Parts: sequence; structure tokens; C-alpha cells
Amino acid sequence: MQKLEQETYWKLLFDFLQRYVPLTEEAFTQWRPYFEIREFGKKRMLVHKGEIEDYVNIIAQGLVRKYMKVKKGDVTLQIAPEGHMVHSERSFHLRQPSDVFIETIEPTIVISISYDNLQALYQNDPLAEKLGRLFATEMFIIKDKRFFDILKKSTREIFLDYMKTHPQMLQRVPQKFIASYLNIKPETFSRLKHLLKKKV
Amino acid sequence: MEKALGNYLVRYPNLTDEELEMIRARMEVRELAKRQLLIQPGEQEEYLNLVAKGVLRKFFYKGREEVITQLAKEGDLISSSVSFFSGQPSQYAIEALEPSTVYAISRTHLEELYAISPKMERLARLVITDLYLSKEKWEQDHIQFDIRQRFVNFVHNNTDLIQRVPQKYIASYLNIKPETFSRLKHLLKKSPLIATLS
Repeated sequence: MQKLEQETYWKLLFDFLQRYVPLTEEAFTQWRPYFEIREFGKKRMLVHKGEIEDYVNIIAQGLVRKYMKVKKGDVTLQIAPEGHMVHSERSFHLRQPSDVFIETIEPTIVISISYDNLQALYQNDPLAEKLGRLFATEMFIIKDKRFFDILKKSTREIFLDYMKTHPQMLQRVPQKFIASYLNIKPETFSRLKHLLKKKV
Repeated sequence: MEKALGNYLVRYPNLTDEELEMIRARMEVRELAKRQLLIQPGEQEEYLNLVAKGVLRKFFYKGREEVITQLAKEGDLISSSVSFFSGQPSQYAIEALEPSTVYAISRTHLEELYAISPKMERLARLVITDLYLSKEKWEQDHIQFDIRQRFVNFVHNNTDLIQRVPQKYIASYLNIKPETFSRLKHLLKKSPLIATLS
């Protein structure tokens, strides 16, 4: 991973936030100290089960996986590339120990805001409240759609839709993680991949 | 109506009587007969509904099968929320299982509230975060717990719904096949709580 200039990360954050709220350059200067840039190697834990999640993270570079460990093995809940947000939501918001692990797949740089800083930002700028509402709404919609898809679509549809919207993932993510995320058995996944090849 | 609204909002940070009144003034009462639909697939959701009385189910059609994703009783919010928040047509239907009363706020009125005060933004942020976290919990419960545990958890947390909602709907909500549901019921008969089922 080629590390970027510090300023480039702040520009990324500014652009990210501007997608939600009309944030001015001046306001962003006020907001910036609330955020921090954090760097992780490959296969590093952002959060361990049992810890209290202290950050909301926006991925600037790299790739991160959220998963649970159960008897039958790991179950992947999220695969987050650049531009996505990742955190142990229930732990972060309810201030309780995390049920999930969040681990990097590649070396990763995230732009993060801590729980305390986020609360302070909400207090200090009403625009942050709006941002928070819009974030929560967007995450809710994404989550609802994911469950809807898993309950409604066929395995083949789920697979093809994901591959269409995330064409680069097969190169970057071990297949078993994607299969787990899509709730598809590994052997079914391999068979579906074969079908995809013919099409391309 | 004030009571149901007050009970719901008391979970959220100290609103003044004035603010509570601003919200109340923008809400409307919707009465539903048993089996009446609040929304159908293809319509656009205009309301967030707070259940004051009754039980409702939210579901979508998978072929001819109805898949239930929510059972809402007094004090719960129910809405085709993705449609409400995104403006896209609803993929869900919502139906009253008993004669029901809901207090509803329209999107327009909600936007008005946001414009009045950042405190309303905050309230909405917290409500939406709760909706989101409950989805997250639903997913984690499905991963963590087997069918039997999910069944037991549900029965223990929803003794009233067990009495009020047809079993096939509860089975669908828990993503359990009806025949498995019957078997679980039988297995757990020893528990007095669950005995009420049979």
C-alpha cells in the first residue's frame, strides 16, 4: 500500500462528509481535530470480541472484515473496502462489549472518530446532528436491503448481484469470506463462480 | 395519544413540553380494522407509525409465500421504513392482525420538525439508530442462536404476542418451518410459559 500525504486523507474525509451535508471548508477546519488517522497492518484487529468499540471508521485505503465466531466457524457480516464505514455498531452506540471482531484483510488506513469526540461534535455543531441522522438512515437502509435480499433472492441471484456490484472483490478477498458473507456454502460458491466464468 | 407518544419518547433525551407539543401537533391517528392493510407493495410509504393499540405484521411476498420480518405491538414503531426514508416504492405490506390504532407522522411533517430544531434531528438520529441496531441484533441472533434457542428467546420475551398472533406468523418471523415450530412447542411443553401455546 502506497501511503498518501496527510492532506490527501483529510481531503478524502471532506469529500466523504460533503456527500451528506453542505459542509464548508471553514466548518471542516473546526471538525478536523475531532477525527484521527489510524494505520493497521494486514490481519490486525480494529476491535476484538469483548472490547467496547470506541470508533466509527471510514476506510481510506485497504480492506476490513467484520465477523462473528460461532461453533461452526467464522461468519462474515461485512466486507468493507475504501469509502465504506465500519464499526461494531451495537457496542459503539450502547457502550457494551462487542459481539463481533473487526479485522483487516489488507494493510489499512482508516479515518476515525471516537465515541467521545462524536458526542462533542454533536454538541458543538447542529450540522453534525443532521450528518448523524443521515448516516444512521443510510446504514439502516443498507442493512434492511441486505436482509431482504438474503430472505427473498435465490443463491444464484445473490451471487451474481454481488459480483456485478463488487467486481474487484474476488481478487482481494479470500473466497470463503465472500461465501460466508453471502450465506452461500463454499462448494456452492465454487460452482457458481464457474458459471460466472462462462458468462464473461 | 399523548400517553403513547410520551411513553415512547421518554426513552430519548429530555424534550420540553413545548417540543413534545410540536411533535404531537404533527401526528395523526390512523384506525385499522382487523386484516386492513396499512401499505401494499408498490406504494410509497408516507408514514412512520407508532402502535398505540393492536398488533401488526410486516411482510413481503416470495412467490406465493409471505415472509414476515416484523411483528409490532403497542409501543413499537412500524413502517415500510426503507420506502419511507429512500422514497422508493415499498417492497413490503403491513397488515393489522387485530383492530389497531397507530399514531403516524408523515415525511413532510418530519422534515418540518428537522427545520425547527437540531434537537429534532437528534431525536430522529437516536430513533433511527435504534431501528438500525435492532436489525443488527436480529442478524446476530440468527448467527449465534440455533432455531431452538431463537424460539425459546422469543417465547420468553413475547408472552403476549404468543397469545395474540397466529402460530404460522410467528414461525415465519423466526424463520422456522411450521412443522419444526410444532415440534419445538411439543418439546418445550414442560415449561409453563410455553404450555400456553398448545
